[in-house]
Amino acid sequence: MDKYYRKWLLPISLPALILFFAVIVIPFVTGVLYSFTSWRGTYFAGGANAFESFVGFENYVNAFKNEKFLNAFVYTIKFTITAVIAINIVSLALAMMITTVSRGGAIYRTVFFLPNLLGGLALGFIWQFIFQNVFSDVLFGPQGLIHIPALTNMLQDNTKALFALVILVTWQMAGYMMIIYITGLNTIPRDLYEAAQIDGAGALAQFRVITLPMLMPAITIVFFLTLANCFKLLDQNIALTDGNFNTRLLATQILRTTRDTAPPDYGMAQAQAVVFFVLIAVVTLVQLYVTKRREVELH
Amino acid sequence: MRKKVLHTVLYIALTVFAILTLAPVAFLLINSFKSQSEIVASPMSLPLNWDFDYILTASQEINFFRSLGITFIVTVLSVALIVLASSLAGWAVARAKTKTSSVMLYMFTAAMLIPFQAVMYPLLSLFEGVGLKNILGLIIMYGGFGLSLSIFLYHGFVKSIPPSIEEAALIDGAGMIKTFFTVVFPLMKSTTATVIILNSMWIWNDYLLPFLVIGNASSRTLTLELYFAKMTSGQFGNPWELIFPAVFVSIIPIIIVFLLLQKHIVRGVSDGAVKG
Repeated sequence: MDKYYRKWLLPISLPALILFFAVIVIPFVTGVLYSFTSWRGTYFAGGANAFESFVGFENYVNAFKNEKFLNAFVYTIKFTITAVIAINIVSLALAMMITTVSRGGAIYRTVFFLPNLLGGLALGFIWQFIFQNVFSDVLFGPQGLIHIPALTNMLQDNTKALFALVILVTWQMAGYMMIIYITGLNTIPRDLYEAAQIDGAGALAQFRVITLPMLMPAITIVFFLTLANCFKLLDQNIALTDGNFNTRLLATQILRTTRDTAPPDYGMAQAQAVVFFVLIAVVTLVQLYVTKRREVELH
Repeated sequence: MRKKVLHTVLYIALTVFAILTLAPVAFLLINSFKSQSEIVASPMSLPLNWDFDYILTASQEINFFRSLGITFIVTVLSVALIVLASSLAGWAVARAKTKTSSVMLYMFTAAMLIPFQAVMYPLLSLFEGVGLKNILGLIIMYGGFGLSLSIFLYHGFVKSIPPSIEEAALIDGAGMIKTFFTVVFPLMKSTTATVIILNSMWIWNDYLLPFLVIGNASSRTLTLELYFAKMTSGQFGNPWELIFPAVFVSIIPIIIVFLLLQKHIVRGVSDGAVKG
């Protein structure tokens, strides 16, 4: 039987292999190769093909000298750290509240999940108006409900726009992560808490000693998903500020950098994309390694 | 007694969060019936009269039925391609326990770390070169991008079911392909549901790939229509009386599908995460 499966492995995987090579492997390898050339999108500067226009690490050097790229790099990291923390706190709090109350949990779960289904671009447009008009005039403006200058004109300021983006993605993603936390919380046996109560452990101690360790697998997944989603965020960034006021995230930067120069420097864009890939790969692998190790230690 | 107080506090907190979650959606609804000046002057109040003109104009502006149809076709065909290719591959990789199959699994899953931006420009230039910078090319691209997670999920599921059932069919002389479609594929139902849900959710709303592949051509998806509606008229200030109703009509289909299938969707999300 094993021989039979072995014989059929490649023919049966063929559709997947063709798609995979055409869409991911070949473009990825070409992309890395092109990052060492003066690729201009439709032709190669200084030669007839990729090998003749080879420029070594010049594109990488230029990328790290490019102020917009460096700015996007730092901005992406700041945004990701803030957003991952915010999403995790909100989604875990929601999950714990929903699993604690006895009735009506399903309705709340449906409501909180809803924003996930709507596209980042469509949501971004609505929130752009909310930040510009509702926050700045009606709610927190000088003539508003309560005057909070920090919450006005959030899209016209580099730092405020970062928090505007965090508010938007937390509002959007918390419901999804909440579902994963709820699934995780439901696997914790109730009698563990009862035993802890008899031993006189308070709510905080129960959370630290029982909930957190038992929830580690869910935490691993949620961290993985939020890190990846925030690092690669694009639609919301474009819809809210369109990268103005130096608010480009890396994904937006790589898309827009070809418009910054004439002729468009696709070689350097590709170098930025390779750096982006390395950053994501390293961060996610380190995160998986660290949280997985904690899972093992705690069990 | 203490428990009752706690529950009341929790319900209040949950309700506050629920209102905050729904507020932007409610806000979208009421502003889809107002003129530009009314939206800007009183964004928080109910419309003076429920005027459907703005919704009709916006639907025409974003070619609602055409773009809805295109988005639907692209999503359905892409997801069908993903399901077919990844269920076959996931099964084959899980059953053939060879060096090649573990290398394949490793390759498919490692690709999850590659961000779209790292392949975007070469991919477009490759597909343009072979005349696939169109809807068909878009579907093939989605087929490729959806593989990694889907193969991973199918592989995990197949590993958990014993091969004895399919082996019985094989010994009876049903070929590999026939065995797959009559015996294996029906068994994978729950994984297939998860794969369909997770992939439809991002393909339906995706902006960047259609933008790069289709751009301003006539076969625009719903998200693209929204983008161009905002960008082209944006030079005269934001035309909110167009944007609000356009966003509103574009999210109605998703909300309907969600309300009908919410149980499956929520389960799909948690299954996809737990097994992933």
